[in-house]
Amino acid sequence: MKITFKINDKTVEARTGWTVLETAQHYGIDIPTLCHHESVTPSGACRLCMVELKEGNWSKLVASCIYPVKEGITIYTETERVSNVRRWVFEMLLSTCPASAKIRQMAANYGVASTRFPISNPDNKCMVCGLCSRVCEEVVGLSAISVVDRGVHKKIGAPFLRPTDVCVACGCCVSVCPTGAMQSFFDQVRGEPSMRLTQLTRQSAQEVKTS
Amino acid sequence: MNYKANIGVFLCQCGNKIKSSIDLEIVKESFEKDSRISHCEILPYPCQTPGMDMITGALAEKKLNRLIVAGCESRLMLKKFENAFAALELRRGQIDIVNLRGHVATVSDLTPADKAAKSIKLINGAIAEMQTLVPTGQSYAQIDGPIAILGCGMAGISAARELSRKKMNFFLVLDTAKPDRMVQKLHHYYPGERSYERRFRDMVREVFDSEYGTILSPFRLVGISGVTGDYTLTLQSEPDETIVKYKAGAIIASLDAEMGSPGPQYGHDGLSVMIQPEMENLISGQGAPEGQIVFWVNDYETGQSEFAQLSAKSAWKMACHIRECSPVSQAIILYHEQMQVPLTAAERAINRKHGILWVAYDGNLRPTIQDGLVTFCNLTDHVERDLPWDYMVLSPVRHLNGKALDTAKILGLVHQEQKFLTGHHARVRPEMVGREETYLAGSARYPCDLLEALSQGQRAGSKTTEMLRKSANGELMLPRIVCVVDPDKCIGCGQCQELCDCGGIGVEEGPGGGLPRVVDPMVCTGGGTCAAACPYHALVLQNNSNDQREARVAALAGQLTPDETLAIGCVWGGLPAADNAGKMGLKYDPRVHIMGVNCIGQIDPCVMARAFVEGASGLILVGCNPEACHHSYGLDHAWSRVNVVKRLLTLCGFSRDRIALAHSDLNHPEEFVRTVESFNRSVAMIGPIERSKENVDKLNAIYNVIKFNTRIRHLLSANLRRPKEKDYRGDQQHALEYDRDFTAVIKEEFLQHRLLTVLENEKRPLNLQDLVASLNENEIRIADCLWSLVSEGTISMSHENRQAVYHF
Repeated sequence: MKITFKINDKTVEARTGWTVLETAQHYGIDIPTLCHHESVTPSGACRLCMVELKEGNWSKLVASCIYPVKEGITIYTETERVSNVRRWVFEMLLSTCPASAKIRQMAANYGVASTRFPISNPDNKCMVCGLCSRVCEEVVGLSAISVVDRGVHKKIGAPFLRPTDVCVACGCCVSVCPTGAMQSFFDQVRGEPSMRLTQLTRQSAQEVKTS
Repeated sequence: MNYKANIGVFLCQCGNKIKSSIDLEIVKESFEKDSRISHCEILPYPCQTPGMDMITGALAEKKLNRLIVAGCESRLMLKKFENAFAALELRRGQIDIVNLRGHVATVSDLTPADKAAKSIKLINGAIAEMQTLVPTGQSYAQIDGPIAILGCGMAGISAARELSRKKMNFFLVLDTAKPDRMVQKLHHYYPGERSYERRFRDMVREVFDSEYGTILSPFRLVGISGVTGDYTLTLQSEPDETIVKYKAGAIIASLDAEMGSPGPQYGHDGLSVMIQPEMENLISGQGAPEGQIVFWVNDYETGQSEFAQLSAKSAWKMACHIRECSPVSQAIILYHEQMQVPLTAAERAINRKHGILWVAYDGNLRPTIQDGLVTFCNLTDHVERDLPWDYMVLSPVRHLNGKALDTAKILGLVHQEQKFLTGHHARVRPEMVGREETYLAGSARYPCDLLEALSQGQRAGSKTTEMLRKSANGELMLPRIVCVVDPDKCIGCGQCQELCDCGGIGVEEGPGGGLPRVVDPMVCTGGGTCAAACPYHALVLQNNSNDQREARVAALAGQLTPDETLAIGCVWGGLPAADNAGKMGLKYDPRVHIMGVNCIGQIDPCVMARAFVEGASGLILVGCNPEACHHSYGLDHAWSRVNVVKRLLTLCGFSRDRIALAHSDLNHPEEFVRTVESFNRSVAMIGPIERSKENVDKLNAIYNVIKFNTRIRHLLSANLRRPKEKDYRGDQQHALEYDRDFTAVIKEEFLQHRLLTVLENEKRPLNLQDLVASLNENEIRIADCLWSLVSEGTISMSHENRQAVYHF
């Protein structure tokens, strides 16, 4: 079924099942994203893709990657309200993961160079969007890594934060990671090659260690 | 079935990422003229819902049955496309994704037009592969018949109870039909688990009384044949040795490890110094003994330190029981300082109540056992102390032998001699493999306590039930990329079976005996090194065949200019490293053209040779690190194959550095960049292969020899590393001798082949001098070779003008 609506005053035609982000990108309108990857279902974690939706006399901000298209709505991707939200998001991201070059660069595009929030770990790159764990589950079909803990303690990890033999070392998580954090974390998930193959080799490695 | 290829190519702009650096219009123009392509379209994002809708429209309209998307990483996006188009009869193998973004767009500073030209080459390779594909239909596994539970481990009872509760038919192959004997075994295999006795007895009774189960006893397994869903088990009755055959749909193996004596150096006599199962027997026979009982957890001394905690736990449980039944007895547990006491807080409270003493000793000094005393070095003051005992209980030495090992061998579960049977399965993505058709449970898998063994059994039971239910509903799909045997070509040499690590190649009983001619698709991982090793090309990897790879390599190599090189990366090492290099924006030599394979081990040496025939001047194979190969020894096998091609290149006077095997870790793309740059430099130094008639003939000869000469192929396969071997050694002890012999065989066969080609092409009798002139070889070697060909009757010799001439 065809759905007609407007993005930045340009009339676009979508079909049922498309999201606002997908429609915008299909028509060549750029919306910044971090936690969005085509291979998995969107989760709306990073809130960077926020856009302003006007319907009748009122407007609201929605995350475009998970917002399904609707007949007659108007979307604005770069209003003052939207960039205000994005600047806030960037400031928060800069406090969580100040080490990520990609985030710093994107933030600079919005004029955000520093953050007013406290930086707890200046070397952190991970923004805990959970994209890696979604890829592991949906694309690879495993759950070697997942988001552990809640709230401000949330982090990405293998069970018990130890190398896991569930991991097949396919590296899909490294390839999708938007901030480059997974590259350094990957070895902690897959472990040493000798640990990875089978428990048998692990056993013999242990024998060597103890003898 | 859709045999005729109807290919659609979709080019991804990826927003601005590809569009801005590759001139996609040039690519599109080139393919619109191409008669092999039915449809070509540029889409902003083919992978998102709008793009998918467009593709669906094109698929339906033009009845496309092959899809090539030129965009980004195949391993990330392929599944999404497969799921989306499964309803349109497009399945695994019929969709290919070429990574333009990661392999072309971001990695070099070429102009958009040059990048378009490189993209066209890569896509042409994919098209050639798609054209050669012979897709199979989707088949489903049929599993019916009862579930066999083999071995007589404790876990088997647990699995049987699970099956009985889920109303599945099963049969248990046991050596005893008496429930009491089964309970007796509990004490034998799991000492210290006395408190479980009553529950276990109930469990055994429930299984023995179950209406869904049959107890076959006393029987033992002597043979097995067939594939998942249709096994035939050969059982031998113990007393009269009659053979019976049973059909089974699935198998659960429940095996327990043996507990042996640590030997006389520990004073083991079974009376006063005993191992834990013997103590357990003593308790069940005579009740708890009186006196001072010392449990020495001596696993560190017997070299099984990893089981120390397990032994300590069972020692503690026995100690508790003894203290409960006979309060006058003393129980002391003597343990190595490195071991952590495996007790929870609640158990420590019980320990205090019973007053069981835990004594750690200095691990550097081995305790000495004497009559009635054990001397050990105290940890705190380093004073040698004597501990008197009335009964000394040692940890058992856990190992596999006897019936459990026999059964495991018949089931093909033994992967390393004298090791436990830990689930060893090639580590590939779950959707690539079927399911482990043999569910293995029990302490033979890896020593564990009773609780773990029982839960393993229960898990095996419920997984098997789930599999049978799926099969009954017609939902159990067989993996599409698996090996199949062409019985017309197979001579039953068994090379593939020896090389196969997944255990998927089975034996088919026929009039001539058992031949390894049947592949179990549920077990095959599609690694394909077996197919590449077959001397007769009788094994074919369905939907991902050798012909397809050859076609792709040929198409790619055929388009290369003399200074360009070809790289083949495996999806676990080289290809993702290249993808990640692209993602990180690393720049490298754009003359390298990358294509992917599932495992470097599936590349037949003839494919490598074909690349040189078609025009490549350098070929590099980039696999994982050797110890990280996901298909166990694919990389080792590739090493041997590359080496054969190197020998042949050297024989023809080409540099052996034109082909190389490299290792790359996907997480270190900068190393991948160094690898390809260095390879490109060394090929550039050698320079391109001059395509003179002589060189082309030689390259063709290399290709033909490596593809069709069964002697060389046999020799090559026979010397590949077997899954059970520790290292690569060839079949001779002396590395140099092996190498010399192999080179001699290759030389001989290669010269023979070239001689025969010349004789065949000339179609007239030739004398020695003619042959020497046309082959440019040593006269004596040619004479030798001619003599052996004449004596074996391949060619004949006659005389013309008093000179020997040779002809067919």
